[in-house]
Amino acid sequence: MKKIIAILLAGMMTATAFAGCSGSSESEAAGETSGDSGSSTEVSVDGSFPDVSYFGDEDNITLKVWAPDDAVSLFKEQCQTFIDHYSEKTISIEVVAQTEATAATQMLNDAEAAADVFCFPSDQLNKLVDAGVISPVAFTDAVTENNSEETVSAGTLNDTLYGYPETNDNGYYLVYDTSVVSGEQAETLEGVLQACEDAGKKFIMNAGDGYYACTFAFTGGVTVDGLEDDGITQKFADYDEDEAVATLQAFAQLFQDYKSTFQSLDISNIASGFDSGTCGAGIDGSWNATTDQEALGDNFGASKLPTINVNGEDKQLISMFGYKYVGVNGSTDFAAASQILAYYLTSEECQQQRAEELGWGPSNKVVQESSVVTDSVVLSAVNAQAANACVQVNISSTFWDPMGNLGNKLIADDCDPTDTETMKKLLEDTIANVRDEG
Amino acid sequence: MTYVEYKQLNPFQRFAHDFKKFFVNIPHALAKFFKAFGRGFVKFFVGIGKGFRNYGTNFVKGDWATKLSYIIFGFGDFHKGKYYKGILYFLTEVLYILYMIFFGWGYLCKFPTLGTVETYTYMDGIIPKTVYGDNSMLILLYSVLTIVITVAMLAMYISNTKDAYKMEQLRAEGKTPTSFKTDIKEFMDGKYHITMLSFPVLLIGIFNILPLIFMILIAFTNYDKTHMPPGTLFTWIGLDNFTSLFDVVNSSKRATTFIKLTEWTLVWAVLATFSNYILGMVFALIINKKGIKFKSFWRTLFVISVAVPQFVSLLLINQMLQVNGAFNVLLSNITGQDIQIQWLNSTPLMARAVVLIVNLWVGIPYTILSMSGILMNIPEDLYESARIDGAGPVRTFTSITLPYMIFVTTPQLITQFVGNINNFNVIYLLTNGGPTTENYYQAGYTDILVTWLFSLTMDSQDYGLAAAIGILVFIVCATISLIVYNNSKSMKDEEAFS
Repeated sequence: MKKIIAILLAGMMTATAFAGCSGSSESEAAGETSGDSGSSTEVSVDGSFPDVSYFGDEDNITLKVWAPDDAVSLFKEQCQTFIDHYSEKTISIEVVAQTEATAATQMLNDAEAAADVFCFPSDQLNKLVDAGVISPVAFTDAVTENNSEETVSAGTLNDTLYGYPETNDNGYYLVYDTSVVSGEQAETLEGVLQACEDAGKKFIMNAGDGYYACTFAFTGGVTVDGLEDDGITQKFADYDEDEAVATLQAFAQLFQDYKSTFQSLDISNIASGFDSGTCGAGIDGSWNATTDQEALGDNFGASKLPTINVNGEDKQLISMFGYKYVGVNGSTDFAAASQILAYYLTSEECQQQRAEELGWGPSNKVVQESSVVTDSVVLSAVNAQAANACVQVNISSTFWDPMGNLGNKLIADDCDPTDTETMKKLLEDTIANVRDEG
Repeated sequence: MTYVEYKQLNPFQRFAHDFKKFFVNIPHALAKFFKAFGRGFVKFFVGIGKGFRNYGTNFVKGDWATKLSYIIFGFGDFHKGKYYKGILYFLTEVLYILYMIFFGWGYLCKFPTLGTVETYTYMDGIIPKTVYGDNSMLILLYSVLTIVITVAMLAMYISNTKDAYKMEQLRAEGKTPTSFKTDIKEFMDGKYHITMLSFPVLLIGIFNILPLIFMILIAFTNYDKTHMPPGTLFTWIGLDNFTSLFDVVNSSKRATTFIKLTEWTLVWAVLATFSNYILGMVFALIINKKGIKFKSFWRTLFVISVAVPQFVSLLLINQMLQVNGAFNVLLSNITGQDIQIQWLNSTPLMARAVVLIVNLWVGIPYTILSMSGILMNIPEDLYESARIDGAGPVRTFTSITLPYMIFVTTPQLITQFVGNINNFNVIYLLTNGGPTTENYYQAGYTDILVTWLFSLTMDSQDYGLAAAIGILVFIVCATISLIVYNNSKSMKDEEAFS
């Protein structure tokens, strides 16, 4: 008898070991409708809804959509509209929260279990295309016509458009406390730092993160120019090494002159710094604009990145600027329905709603001209910076760490801004590392 | 040096002598280790050979039913009246053949190339549709599964032929085979260990051994960001991943990074282990000293930092060590100046020192706990007789306390050492590898091998390279542990203190 109990116990123990495996699902179905009445009046892909004939023989459709956390409820509403519109088809759509930053990684982990339609930032495009998990865009002509040229070209790889442009705002901008920094001072980096120092406040930028630190190289003319033919090695545009080194030295000099003012911290410290009154200005991500606005209230100031004085010449800081896309999973069971849904989710109607409710900068040409964009301080600042930016597409995965290291070295205590040779070596090493040479 | 000379040395000289001896003995110990390894290897294959013993003779000697069971599983058992076993054997064969036809063979025959059919996309009207070709990862995974099942099947086959012959002999002696009921009873009695352990062993096989073989095989493939299933195929590249790590001749960045990180990993493991061990021991000794009041209060006080989970402590300390963190604010308030020290992000030396010191905070409490327990277990009469013989406190410590503690804690020390080689949490959560440098490939100055492995897999998808590093780390850990443990007193003289 004892032995039987022992076996039972052992069985239970192994069973409990697996109890943790059944994860809870955080998804919620957006709704399900079915019916064969009702008629469609759409005949072309010019509007927000492509013609129902594009579905082909697909019916009893179940789709999964990945959307970022804060947008899940809006996506659900939009999916419901989609379902209502195509009432002759039985469609069920599930919207699941999935941050865009790891969307590609999740897609690569298990494409079969991943969403049919998903949101992703432009820098993940080549990863997705290399792994063959993303399907090309079906409605290429309509998408090209409706969206801004940059967003379409950044979503194109090997002459094929892979992503439905969703936003045109993924970058960073200068945010400042207008009681500390005046609009005029905000135009130059020297002015901003001086203003912050005078007020005894900090200027925060995450110089140790390649995403922000690449500004130092870009401003010196070392800009990215796609990938080499092998598809993984980063290509840089031709640059003047002396000028690039001089720019790095100018940055290093500034950081040393304003050592007690310039702080390299995670950007989450900017809004909290405004709250506690220790921060005067910072370079913050556009997605944090609402938080910054709440923290500063009436003193909220936003503009494009400032300029820096290099050997007597004011140079505009060049930033990394990206777009977000909606992609279709190549292994979806409902290829046509997924394409139609992706088209709808990035249509003028949906982009307008997201611009109004979430403050997302649109890629659609019509929405870009609408008042919701032109009246927004943040979106105008972001748009102004977009003109002075490198597009975040075709960025090799070895790009970020060496750029972060470059930033770290410029702000290091033992950095000597006058030492041209070391600075030159640093730049050469950084580029060699990005290109994974040696 | 003779035994008498050795005994005349003072404890420090003795320690120096032992220390030197340990390192002088390393080549010898290594040789011994590999000899033992070789013997084990031979033994393994001899064991397999034994399994096949009488395979041929049984066939020649056996009757027609036994002969037939060499092709049809369980026929011999069935013919001799052991029906249930015969049916079970037969069912296994049928299931295996079905598995191979419908699943296993399809993957196994692609195993040598890991797939050749490429993925492509075609247009269905305006809708693009992707047709997936071979998935190298699934081919590798299911091939490993099929091979494991086939090996198990082979074992089953051999046991089936043996069983058939045994039954034949049993019949020849005029006995009848045992019934189903008797056999079941036997599983509750003589073969109870099989009943108890077969299920856990099966699970370990599926969830541990199988993935392990899979991961080891990945080290010999070019599975990286340019060879990413299901879109692209990867294939075998032999030892290229390993050679790229030792390619010092071309001074490739991977090789320098690997060697530098290995150095730091070992330095870190030694320093982290012994700093915790020695300081923990000192605290435990102080607390356990006679005449110290409120012993349990002090013990609780020193151990209380365990109450906060390790990763929470580390993340908090990381925040405190930032430029605007608590430490700098505190220092600024004390000195009255604006202190902006980059604790974790300036010089390699400072960051490494900070990591080691923070590690004391999370490590010492555990040492105090185990040390206190050991100290309280040392028989008091040992100390009494030492005192009667005129031994002072230093003498009792070096002759009784220290040998006893080292004896008991050597296995624990080894575990901690290996744990520190793989101490992911402290490094990753505290510095995330920083300070960064342009001299390493995808690594910083405080990165140890496992954290480098992590960033290789998570950030740059160099799965093949990462698997190779994992194997090398395992070899280092296993060799060190085996040598040290086999040379320790705890192993050689198990009865010493019992």
